[in-house]
Amino acid sequence: MSALGGGSAGGEGINPAASVIALVIVLASVGIAYVVYPAALIPLIGVIVGGVLISFGVHFVPVGGAPAAMGQAPGIATGVAMLAAGGGLAGLFGGAWAAEMGIWVALGAGAMGGGLLMAITCLMVNVVYVYAMGIPAASGKVDKDPITGDTYEGYRSQGTEGHGLPFISYVGGVIGGILAGAGGTLIYLELLSVYQEALPSFLGMTPEGMQTLAVSLAGIFAVGMFLVAAVLTAYNITGTIEGPHDPKFKRWPRAVIGSSAACAACGLVAILLVVI
Amino acid sequence: MTVKIEASEGGMDHNVMLGIGLVGALVCIYLVYLNTLMSTEVFAFFGGLAAIIALWWGTDSIKNLCSYGLGTGVPSAGMIALGSGVVAMLFATKLAGISPLLVPVGCVVVAAILGAILGFISDKVLNMNIPVMTRMIAELTVVGSLTTLGFTAMVAGTFSFGDLITGATSVFGVEIASYASSVIGGCVLATIFMLGAIAIQHPFNACLGPNESWDRTQMCAIECGALSMIVIAIMSLAFLSLPAVVISFVISIILWGWSYSELIKLSKRDAFAWLDSQPIREVGGEQ
Repeated sequence: MSALGGGSAGGEGINPAASVIALVIVLASVGIAYVVYPAALIPLIGVIVGGVLISFGVHFVPVGGAPAAMGQAPGIATGVAMLAAGGGLAGLFGGAWAAEMGIWVALGAGAMGGGLLMAITCLMVNVVYVYAMGIPAASGKVDKDPITGDTYEGYRSQGTEGHGLPFISYVGGVIGGILAGAGGTLIYLELLSVYQEALPSFLGMTPEGMQTLAVSLAGIFAVGMFLVAAVLTAYNITGTIEGPHDPKFKRWPRAVIGSSAACAACGLVAILLVVI
Repeated sequence: MTVKIEASEGGMDHNVMLGIGLVGALVCIYLVYLNTLMSTEVFAFFGGLAAIIALWWGTDSIKNLCSYGLGTGVPSAGMIALGSGVVAMLFATKLAGISPLLVPVGCVVVAAILGAILGFISDKVLNMNIPVMTRMIAELTVVGSLTTLGFTAMVAGTFSFGDLITGATSVFGVEIASYASSVIGGCVLATIFMLGAIAIQHPFNACLGPNESWDRTQMCAIECGALSMIVIAIMSLAFLSLPAVVISFVISIILWGWSYSELIKLSKRDAFAWLDSQPIREVGGEQ
């Protein structure tokens, strides 16, 4: 969705030296967390796993950007950051609501929340494409749908990279919503466990008054870290992606390394909050 | 690697803007501390001014970053700025336990470190290979943290963690301390977060294009900041005394009215310059 017109950046391949430095950042963050507050070790690892889930999940989401809005490219007609924020935050809210019922129920609720939002979005996007804009769903990257076997070639308009939201992209969107929603919820739950444990002892608070505070702090940190991981992934995708069948999908290892380092650094700062 | 596409001619040098933005925002946030020194609340509006100065600088950073084709649109840069900025800002408010005067400087330092890490990741690990990326992401993180810190100081009249987590609810006329009615406990911070994010991602997104001019974009930034400041002033009704809220509100309304009328003037000027459909100008770059 480059409104500025230029070709998008982002070369192929992995930069080995930088990736090693990123992994060192992850290990250093985990090490510092272990030294200053050993109980935060597992939560910080949970935060990093959450970041990895978010950044891997966002690669599945069919992002069309401005070309999709004009019916010239397949996908949902907005940017990666907005879609990921929508899907992931819906999941996060779903998971936060179920936080009292244990980690697995909460994670499941978060995943379902994100997946449900993406499913509804993809459905309504196709309703608008088909019945309002009058364009059929056709992928630009593959000639045959990997799941249904439908052929797209005869439906693709000349001069476009495909249009609408093909079935494989729909499936990718739902998978992406599930993964990103679960990732966002995991970050929230892990930070919540740290704050619930640490705030009463470090700040000398009563547990009942502290609950809202722990929820608010964990919530705002989770939203912040979610956006960081999602935007880094958006930079990795550079604009538009059709879903798991798109060649750009193969770039995911870079984003996973980058997001884990970013979430490790942010998570360390969030955990240090209770220590100093 | 992409070519640099477009940057408006003229305008202030970015390093000068960085200096003005950083020093101006820090001074304004420190002025909020007068509240604590003089046990009053009327200086809360300086927090909003700090946020506007930071946004004014951040808009130019976004412009520098996004004039290289990111491929994801301008708002994403605003989201990463505020997302990482709020993490750094919350951590910095906790430094008030050591000394309240450490908070604004600590905010800038923590945000700069965090931003440098994020910038390095996006530039090198994700292979964006944009020369200014590390610096601009670091700047944007500082801008994001200063914006949230400024707005938080405006809504609460203070920037120390201890005061931000305790509020008072009135039950039958009796004041009861409660965490839930505080700035952080009540999650007013989430609203501040979005108000800051909208204000930083909108100006360049709205003004970009071949006809982009420096003064119009920067005026749009001030206008967006003042618009957010009005909402923050209304929100501060829950935490501050009435005179302080009225002062904040009047100042934000005046600031917004002035910047909006200036923005309309500049927009008309630029629109007039484009009468008779001239060919698109290619400014400061080759494709």
